[in-house]
Amino acid sequence: MSLGRRAFLQFVGGAIGGTLLTPIPWKLADDSAIWTQNWSWRPSPERGEITETTGTCLLCPGGCGIQARLVNGHRAIYVKGNPDHAVSRGGLCPVGAAGLQYLYAPYRITQPLKQTGKRGDPQGFQPIAWNEALKIVADKLAAVRKKGLPHTVACITGQDRSSVTDLWKQFFAAYGSPNLYTMPRHSDSTRLAVALATGYDADLGFHLEKATYVLNFGAPLLEGWAAPVRIQQIFSRWQTEQPGLPKTELVHVESRCSLTASKADRWIACKPGTEAALALGIAHVLIREKLYDAAFVSEKVFGFEDWTDAAGALRKGFKALVLAKYSPKDVAAVTGVDAQVIQELARELARQKNAVVLWGQSSDTPNNLYHDLAFLALNALIGALSDKAMVSLVPSQPWQALPEPAMDLEAFKGLGQKPLGQPTSVPKTKVRPNTLHAFLNALANGEEYPIELLFVHEANPAYGLSENTLAVQALQKAGMVVSFASYLDETAAYADLILPNHNAFERLDDVIGLPGAPFAFYAVATPILKPHYDTKSTGDVVLGLAKTLGGTVAQSLPWKNYEEVLKLRAAKIAEGATGLLVDATFDPASVEPGVSLRANFKKAADVWKKLTAGSCWVEAPQALDACTTPSGRFELACQGLLASVSTNAGDELFMAHYKPLPPSGNAGELPLLLTTYRSLSLAPGYVPNAPFMNKLLPDDLLLKQDVFVEVHPETARKLGLRHKAKAVLKTPLGEAPVRVRVAPTVPADVVALPEGLGHTAYDEYVQGKGVNANSLVEVHLDPVTGLGTVWATRAQLRLA
Amino acid sequence: MGEVKNSTSKKGLGIVFFLAGFVGALILGWVVFPNLLYSSKTQPVTFLHSSHEDSSCEDCHYFRDDGSYSGVPGVAKCAECHEEPMTESEDERILVEEYIQQEREIPWLVYAWQPDNVYFSHAAHTEEQGIECVRCHRDVSAEEKMPVYKENRITGYSKNTMKMVECEKCHAEKGASNSCHICHK
Repeated sequence: MSLGRRAFLQFVGGAIGGTLLTPIPWKLADDSAIWTQNWSWRPSPERGEITETTGTCLLCPGGCGIQARLVNGHRAIYVKGNPDHAVSRGGLCPVGAAGLQYLYAPYRITQPLKQTGKRGDPQGFQPIAWNEALKIVADKLAAVRKKGLPHTVACITGQDRSSVTDLWKQFFAAYGSPNLYTMPRHSDSTRLAVALATGYDADLGFHLEKATYVLNFGAPLLEGWAAPVRIQQIFSRWQTEQPGLPKTELVHVESRCSLTASKADRWIACKPGTEAALALGIAHVLIREKLYDAAFVSEKVFGFEDWTDAAGALRKGFKALVLAKYSPKDVAAVTGVDAQVIQELARELARQKNAVVLWGQSSDTPNNLYHDLAFLALNALIGALSDKAMVSLVPSQPWQALPEPAMDLEAFKGLGQKPLGQPTSVPKTKVRPNTLHAFLNALANGEEYPIELLFVHEANPAYGLSENTLAVQALQKAGMVVSFASYLDETAAYADLILPNHNAFERLDDVIGLPGAPFAFYAVATPILKPHYDTKSTGDVVLGLAKTLGGTVAQSLPWKNYEEVLKLRAAKIAEGATGLLVDATFDPASVEPGVSLRANFKKAADVWKKLTAGSCWVEAPQALDACTTPSGRFELACQGLLASVSTNAGDELFMAHYKPLPPSGNAGELPLLLTTYRSLSLAPGYVPNAPFMNKLLPDDLLLKQDVFVEVHPETARKLGLRHKAKAVLKTPLGEAPVRVRVAPTVPADVVALPEGLGHTAYDEYVQGKGVNANSLVEVHLDPVTGLGTVWATRAQLRLA
Repeated sequence: MGEVKNSTSKKGLGIVFFLAGFVGALILGWVVFPNLLYSSKTQPVTFLHSSHEDSSCEDCHYFRDDGSYSGVPGVAKCAECHEEPMTESEDERILVEEYIQQEREIPWLVYAWQPDNVYFSHAAHTEEQGIECVRCHRDVSAEEKMPVYKENRITGYSKNTMKMVECEKCHAEKGASNSCHICHK
């Protein structure tokens, strides 16, 4: 008997019929549907208790208060602004809001790494134990000091408003090296200008809450200037009508129609880089028409009238210089702004009771010293520095930073060495000039002396420094590079050793002072969750290294851990017994310079408790009553520059004047000017653009991997470029592929490129998008301060 | 005339083959398949509700201040009593040494774990609202041994995970809405 075809079909029929009466088909259909919900790459949020905790965002100097939502106390799922915070009042910028993407980023460094291959090879990093890694660094530090070369140890830090920076300063003083630098900021040059004009080491604070008229020379208020959230909120208040209060008028001067320009009450389009000339033109009208604050100028200002220098030579004063050189007609020719408009602006400015002059550039880089002095002078003329205090001086340290370091002979010798590459012309003031570009230049070119050991802390100069290739060259020349990076960024790739810091949300840290705020400020950043990986707080690492080195270095840094240093701050505040611990009810308009706030706290323990719970300490800035300049007044003619300029120097070299540093390259070959701009949706600093932020970028800024440059329609026509055309942007520094956005927002013959793109490190969601603006812009070293300034670069744009 | 095939497919025998297939499929579907579909897993630590009768249910299963339900308690809760072993049992040694002392959470296999696409709030399903715990969960009061955890090899969920139809039935009985978005947000 054989099983026939028919029997088989009968069997199969029975089996199918039977199967339909079992759970198999129905259960499989249901289960396979559920199976598709559980694919491994499908995110599944952890379940558990939801808690909220407060902290301070450390991703930029803005010091915003944050609230984080956590599951089971260890998985952060959301970050938002803390509505009770004194300054940010619930606001948060895109970088902060996307902050968790840095915490959970795949490019986090999870443990100490040692480069076993060639420097710069990301594949060469191998894990190393903390104690081994720290021993390598301590041995190197000890060896260099034993050789009598402590000044050959250097550090670049990107955190200039944290106590860690003070630890670095203490460490470098006790160890004996002058080579400690922060990443360049505009405040590097304004602090020098302030020191020369007033003798104080202070940051400028602008009383924007009280202002009725703001004349803004290029400061990108809405693109992330100073403390971005504070500025945004003030801007929104300016736009809101309040009964009984005059509306604040914002006049914005900038060559490009930026976001700030487009939202201002009036936009004055000047030629790129000529803002300082316009400021001096306005000063001319104020002086000529006697519209300036004559009482303030005659009582508190030196150098307005002609003066006699220490050698007895008669020097021309500011008045004579400005009247001679900056008539509206002359300034109109330079700036492209009508003489009529210049007069109008000056009269408007003088008419206002609470007017203030702001200035800045689209990128947060040092400015030409004489230009900073020009804007400062204009503020002095309108009386913004008088008792009205529209501009006040906020000491960079509201209290003595740390106890005096103990220094042995080696430390004195080392610290007395000239900072590497620093020009001798640098004015001697209370402010240490942050000549990072000059340092890197000397290091890259092997000038003066070599650097045996270079620390890089919370900074990414290989990407974020203007002319970043200089940083790459310098990193390759340093004897040993030790990075404290939390992420494998462009700079960390060149390290020999990486001692990863906790991420910004994982560490206990602090914020000393808010950029641009007219009050002293202190906040403690408490971690929102425990560190995820085998990382260490850099503060603790610095203290540990000092302890291992022993001697005076250990004596100078005697604290057990970084927390103890921060508690010392709280103790200082309690001891000083001035200032207020505040929440969102704080009104900055109530702060007056020189009038100390009556303390609402007593014991150090209470201060610490409140600070760690999210309160901020604020205090009034100092009054400008006794300048510590040679004349004891606010100096329009800075006598502090006598040592920096030659004795037979022209009179204008002592005071504000318009002197742009000429861009290099041939104007025939490179007929355009490249300027850069910022956006709140682009992170140009230490952290890259998180994927959440990239979602905010419109497709006429970034299309797939291509970045758009803005080109005026007339220029585009001349160059034969259409909208969206692929082009090559060339500057003396190099060339890069871009696309063209034809827009009348830039003047003719100018190309505008956004900052914050073009990373080569991190992961596939960050790298390769657009062009790094820093690799194309040219740095001009200020001939007086030696600071690396950036304003415009000659460029060429051609069809790709 | 055509040859008559000496085949098994002759009339009368056909029904036998049909039945063989039919019954075979039924056995496969009702007996073999369920055993194949689920793997049996044991809990990392034996836990008996009946040994914890000195505590009230709410000591471990309670509503948090924000209205969410604590569900299965974490190891911190166990540590309140079991900081040190209370008995000589091996399970307790594991609990204390491998979890409590190392501050590791116990990877409990949860019998009633619902998929992520279901939004379920215990706050709306309480005894005050006339829904006994045992309406959805097993009766643990007299349990002398933990039930074997049957894990669906395809979905990864427990065999005891309540299916949607149960939710719908009860909602219908109680007059609660059965709209999709009530549970699928």
